[in-house]
Amino acid sequence: MNPIDASSPSAGTVLVEEHLQFSLVELGRACSAERDWLVALVQEGALTPSGAEPSDWRFEGSALRRARAAQRLSQDLDLNAAGAALVLDLLDEIDTLRARLRRIGAA
Amino acid sequence: MDFKDYYATLGVERSATQDEVKRAYRKLARKYHPDVSKEPDAEARFKEVAEAYEALGDAERRAAYDDVGRRHADGQGFQPPPGWDSGFEFSGRDDGAQAFDHSDFFEALFGRRSAGAGGRAPRGARRQPAADHHAKVRIDLRDAYRGAQRTLALRVPQVDANGQVTLQLRQLEVNIPKGVRAGQHLRLAGQAGSQGGDGPAGDLYLEIEFEPHPLFRVDGRDVYLDLPVAPWEAALGASVHVPTPDGEVELNVPAGSKPGRRLRLKGLGLPSTPPGDLYVVLTLVLPPADAAPAQEAWRTLARHFADFNPRSALKP
Repeated sequence: MNPIDASSPSAGTVLVEEHLQFSLVELGRACSAERDWLVALVQEGALTPSGAEPSDWRFEGSALRRARAAQRLSQDLDLNAAGAALVLDLLDEIDTLRARLRRIGAA
Repeated sequence: MDFKDYYATLGVERSATQDEVKRAYRKLARKYHPDVSKEPDAEARFKEVAEAYEALGDAERRAAYDDVGRRHADGQGFQPPPGWDSGFEFSGRDDGAQAFDHSDFFEALFGRRSAGAGGRAPRGARRQPAADHHAKVRIDLRDAYRGAQRTLALRVPQVDANGQVTLQLRQLEVNIPKGVRAGQHLRLAGQAGSQGGDGPAGDLYLEIEFEPHPLFRVDGRDVYLDLPVAPWEAALGASVHVPTPDGEVELNVPAGSKPGRRLRLKGLGLPSTPPGDLYVVLTLVLPPADAAPAQEAWRTLARHFADFNPRSALKP
């Protein structure tokens, strides 16, 4: 394996969670997911874009992590969109509880 | 190369039915799935389990694996006989970059190109060919405090003119923005490299991880530090030097502090709007009492606090 290039300092670097929004098409590209799957996740409330119609949807940058996790859960555990959405909700709740435990000094 | 016992990985007998293989996989996949599990080695364990299921969950592959396995006892050196797979045709699915997560053993058996979802037939998410790529990068906590420019080495699959896939080492200079947190992503526009087609180059997404730090624990924007203090510092109060990921600060330990007390250094967590906080958690450290003068000092203390009972709360 040889180095094939050393790119110049990445001028096009963006912090996704803070400075990026995705359209439905862009989010699909970013996590290699099909449109119908992402629409199903929105219908389950696992992703909450702004905008009325799918063509107007804007997803916050944080949707990338969530959509990718849903994608992995679906593939690895054979979950449908409702199952993946439930797991994401439960994981959020566990995170909240863990943070609360840390705040009261129990962790 | 060692022969891998995929049956042992899934904990099933060699005579297990396809249903039993699937059940065993599902159970272990739920236990070790990196998105769900908090086990420290979850990711590595999950990869092993998923690879075993890719080999055994697909009847064609399982037959091929069993055939090779009959000639090799577990754990012995393994070399695939030349041309051994000519009699098999795998209906493997191309799974994009995921296909490069397999062990050498798996790739020797099933090849790199055919390494796909195998027996996994996803019910919901179907992948489309990856245009954008993802990778994880580990940075120092200090880089997140100050921002930094780092050269990262990524292994990326390249398709050559003959359609062969090889892994190439690619060096990339990346600006780490100040205040980035673990789990966040950087998008490097157009850096995914050409896909061998005519389409535009995809984007490269880098997921940030922090190098584990011997002193600091990170929780979102907040950072935690255990600060050892002497008993008299906790009792009388003291001004002590405290390391932060971005240099030392002076901290007043209030008189009458108990171990476990948390002191908040507002705004000294990860830079952000608003910035996180640095929490200093006091721990008590006792000086050694291994010489006569030290023991005498403790005895003096004991005489002075003759009425003090640390176990008063235990009395019925």
